[in-house]
Amino acid sequence: MSLPPLALTMGDPAGIGPEITRAAWRALRGRHPFAVIADPDHLASLGSDVPVRAVETLAEAAAVFPRALPVLAEPLACPVRPGVADPAHAPAIVRSVERAVALARSGAAAAVVTNPLAKTTLLDAGIGHTGHTMWLKDLAGGGTPVMMLAGPMLRVVPVTVHIPLAEVPRALTADAIVAAGRITAAALAADYGLAAPRLAVAGLNPHAGESGTVGREEIEVIAPAIAALQADGIDATGPHPGDSLFHAAARATYDAALCMYHDQALIPIKALDFANAVNVTLGLPIVRTSPDHGTAYGIAGKGLADPTSLIAALEMAAAIAARRGERKAA
Amino acid sequence: MADAKHTPTIAFAMGDASGIGSELMAKVLADADIAAAARYIVIGDSRVLARGASIVGLPVTLPVVGPDATLPRDRSVFVDLGHLDPKDAPFGTVNLASGRFALENFRTALLLGLAGEADAVAFTPFNKAAMRLAHPPYEDEIGFTAGVLGFDGKAKEFNILEGLWNARVTSHVPLKDVAALITPDEIIDNLVLTADALRTSGIASPRIAVAGLNPHAGDGGNFGREEIDVIGPAVETAKSRGIACDGPFPADTVFLRAQRGDFDAVLTMYHDQGQIAMKLIGFDRGVTMLGGFPFPICTPAHGTAHDIAGTGKANTGATRAALLLAARMAAAAPRVRPPAPLSVSAVRAPRKAA
Repeated sequence: MSLPPLALTMGDPAGIGPEITRAAWRALRGRHPFAVIADPDHLASLGSDVPVRAVETLAEAAAVFPRALPVLAEPLACPVRPGVADPAHAPAIVRSVERAVALARSGAAAAVVTNPLAKTTLLDAGIGHTGHTMWLKDLAGGGTPVMMLAGPMLRVVPVTVHIPLAEVPRALTADAIVAAGRITAAALAADYGLAAPRLAVAGLNPHAGESGTVGREEIEVIAPAIAALQADGIDATGPHPGDSLFHAAARATYDAALCMYHDQALIPIKALDFANAVNVTLGLPIVRTSPDHGTAYGIAGKGLADPTSLIAALEMAAAIAARRGERKAA
Repeated sequence: MADAKHTPTIAFAMGDASGIGSELMAKVLADADIAAAARYIVIGDSRVLARGASIVGLPVTLPVVGPDATLPRDRSVFVDLGHLDPKDAPFGTVNLASGRFALENFRTALLLGLAGEADAVAFTPFNKAAMRLAHPPYEDEIGFTAGVLGFDGKAKEFNILEGLWNARVTSHVPLKDVAALITPDEIIDNLVLTADALRTSGIASPRIAVAGLNPHAGDGGNFGREEIDVIGPAVETAKSRGIACDGPFPADTVFLRAQRGDFDAVLTMYHDQGQIAMKLIGFDRGVTMLGGFPFPICTPAHGTAHDIAGTGKANTGATRAALLLAARMAAAAPRVRPPAPLSVSAVRAPRKAA
């Protein structure tokens, strides 16, 4: 059984989404098909080097994909000025995400891949979604979304994400670590084909607290969470000092690192896999990936944007969807 | 050493005797670039150095003097304190004798700096567990140094890798305490110390990047306000005082920009923010410098490498870099020598109350 195409959202059309989408089609046209939910006239206006074709269905998109970039039309309300966010685009941006998720839930699309958007564009338009991930949870009909950043050299899962650093110790509970660890281990097994995934859990404090002399969360919160994961039969180790967890020899000992806060995860993944890292949402009923960067308004429309992360996100989404399809078939 | 008058003097202390220190020292003392960069007063036990030298197959050519000998000012010497038989310091072990040895050598080197007989201090790696066996209250090099020197000013650890410097506002404190410790004064003091240290090291117009504290440097206040309320204003104040700094920048990309050459130094807000990035870039090949004291103190960033101690395999890259940095900084800010040359015993004697 061949998989249906992936559904790619437009993201913010004033960002680099349109140009990296076109570049991704050029790179992947012989590979697994995708359709973007966007304004076909806008995408066509960006140059004749990428043929753009409006399609009605994803089945049609699969047929068109080798010859043209298939677009499920979601017209924009007004022209795009590259680099200038415009709240007038917000309704189309939102519908693009809603349609992509609906297509994935119905099985018409194999997965959702999201182009970058800026929260402020949506907020300025009076739309209260403050980020893709929780919004997708609602659209996808439940689950516990967990963000993983995955590159060729490293996978990291931040247990706390977009909160002030001062609030991290309070937000970091054993329950949160255990929940993230369980979802990560299950996803690595189901979606990445790792029969016995190994998790390395980072500490919170310098030198993982040095036996309690530089902070006690390792003893009181993190170590009990690791014990709970181990009791579940999950191969979890730690807490490991954050600064000795990411060199090559350490990376060889685990499949994903559970990090306690955003930058503990983001600093190493960007240092190691800057262009190739993909943001994957684990724990949802649908497959969802996205590039690991923002709208990059500063370079939008200038032909400078690097499509590598979007291409990697599309390829990873196709690989995960294929693995889920095989498991269903088996 | 062409011109003794303008050659800096480095008091070079033997570190832990059970690690790779004696092999590193034997190799760098035989290195022509190192010999040309400075004059050395090496502190240790000649039997320990001889053990390292025989492992790496190099001769020790430095003249050996005792602690009571007046130190010559025109050539390098080895001061033999005669306080450790290598038999008591087996390779690859944490032991009291090696800790006591390292601690006494370091203390002596610091006192040579304090007395003005040396312009900088360097040492081969310490083993913190051994230091604590020898001296249980031992916290870190900064605290110990401040105690020996009777210093109550601001001193900071800098991590340096191939021209990229990292300083941090907070260090070995629980993460929950970090936000409260990030104050404008602390940030400005750190920027001043960093700019001074970079200039002394030979970078005439240092450019410093300041990291934010929160994810995405707070994302305009959505994920924390310290960037807006504390870090940003501190950066502006430092700029108005003539320090070329910029920020706050998101911590997950600031080192990539510095590596690209946009900055000479990154000031980070907490321990792992800098250490994760620097260690991935290869900081084990780098140098740790203690700045803010009356003279620079440099050491290789790596540890005692117990797993390869005694095999001769130890790589001298970081030790060479530490000595060359110490020599550059010492040459830029020489100490005032005492009127008549002293002996090591004289600088170690308790100072009489005035």
